Amino acid sequence: MVAMIELIDVHKSFGHLHVLKGINLTVQKKEVVVIIGPSGSGKSTMLRCINGLEPIQKGKVMIEGEDLHGPKTDPNKIRQRIGMVFQSFNLFPHKNALQNVMMAPIKVQKKPKAEAEEIARDLLGRVGLAEKAEVLPEELSGGQQQRVAIARALAMKPDMMLFDEVTSALDPELVAEVLSVMRNLAESGMTMVVVTHEMGFAREVGTRLIFMDGGVVVEEGDPREMIVNPKEVRTQKFLSMVL
Amino acid sequence: MNAFFNGEIFKESLWLLVKTLPTVFEVLILGLICAWSWGLILSLIRLSHVRPLRYLAGAYIDLFRGLPLLLLFIFIYYGLPHAGIRLGPLASGVLGIALCYGAYAAEIFRAGIQAIPKGQTEAARSLGMTHGQAMRHVILPQAVRLVVPPLTNEFIAMIKDTSLMSVISVPELLFTAKEKMGVVVNSTPLTVAALIYIVFTVPLIRVAARMESQRGRRKPRGGKSGGTPSVEVGGDLQTADVAGQLP
Repeated sequence: MVAMIELIDVHKSFGHLHVLKGINLTVQKKEVVVIIGPSGSGKSTMLRCINGLEPIQKGKVMIEGEDLHGPKTDPNKIRQRIGMVFQSFNLFPHKNALQNVMMAPIKVQKKPKAEAEEIARDLLGRVGLAEKAEVLPEELSGGQQQRVAIARALAMKPDMMLFDEVTSALDPELVAEVLSVMRNLAESGMTMVVVTHEMGFAREVGTRLIFMDGGVVVEEGDPREMIVNPKEVRTQKFLSMVL
Repeated sequence: MNAFFNGEIFKESLWLLVKTLPTVFEVLILGLICAWSWGLILSLIRLSHVRPLRYLAGAYIDLFRGLPLLLLFIFIYYGLPHAGIRLGPLASGVLGIALCYGAYAAEIFRAGIQAIPKGQTEAARSLGMTHGQAMRHVILPQAVRLVVPPLTNEFIAMIKDTSLMSVISVPELLFTAKEKMGVVVNSTPLTVAALIYIVFTVPLIRVAARMESQRGRRKPRGGKSGGTPSVEVGGDLQTADVAGQLP
């Protein structure tokens, strides 16, 4: 079976700053890969390389067997299959919740408006925001905005989802509602790569845990085992600080 | 007093000058459409990833912000015929406005586009939108709201600058007033012209000021995206208004 995501010796630099130093990562269908690590370790950058938001300097990014940077590949087409949710929500402030979710199916997939609206209302219901469809983002709480953002990414019916510290900008009492949506999504069989500091989520929902530091993958393994019994010294140090 | 405000001449000139308004509006509307469309195109080129194009647009913007509009009008109307290009007074006026105000509008649009947080583009692109789709559906609709106040100020300057077209014999307010002055040997027609300009510009000045103060009061948006972005364009934009250089 072809892997959903395959990173092969990926290097990424910002000017002289070498952020990713040869990342190898394979994500299979229905896996929930949780990535942890200190800030500046390259977790978010790696996530952004997966859907090509960041160009890479060396290596390969394969999405369902297709080379993202291949000469015949249209990265826009590939991005349609990869949903992404951001730390700062990035909802479109000039559109209400429903329009945020409907926009890409209409403009990118050229779906008829009625069909897009049906999909969007269904998704807003699934994230518990059916009654907020006509509300502008600025009138929603952070947790609600983030759930709309998840619905917006799901509206493209992606094969996989990337989550970039999606609860880090939220007040503590709003974190749970977002995590519960993500948990449901994982249970429905979605392939997910999640950069997070939520160790509880990693333990309960993750199928694999990856610890990154200094632009490399230091350790990976079963989350339940790795959290209790990390092998590498750097992992031990990091976990002792966050747990 | 009689030299500036003669009742009889006032009535005559008022009717005469009001009759020129359709011409003024025609130049203004065409000029505005051309200048702002050209400005938007220029700003997109200025922000493109193709370096030579970017520099070319930058050079154009600098050049036309640096040239007096009056010189441009004279060049187009009196200069170009030497090269065999003959444009009528109205066409010359519209072209001059488009070339000059397009450069200013480009800077305003660029500032507006750049004021939209990067996360908006990233969200749009991550949904599979192309660069063009992201611009059209996500960035520009937000940028347009930001540039309405500065563009209103540009429009005010444009209204006043139509008076420069009197030197290329466009029968607009100032041209007609000056002719009438010669006939009646009195300054009242000029007073009338001044009043007509003020009737159009002062309300717009108030509107622009109100939009700016409202924008300042609006509460910042939540999340990490920070406050409502705004377009800061320096007061040097007013240099487009060169009405004071009339001979």
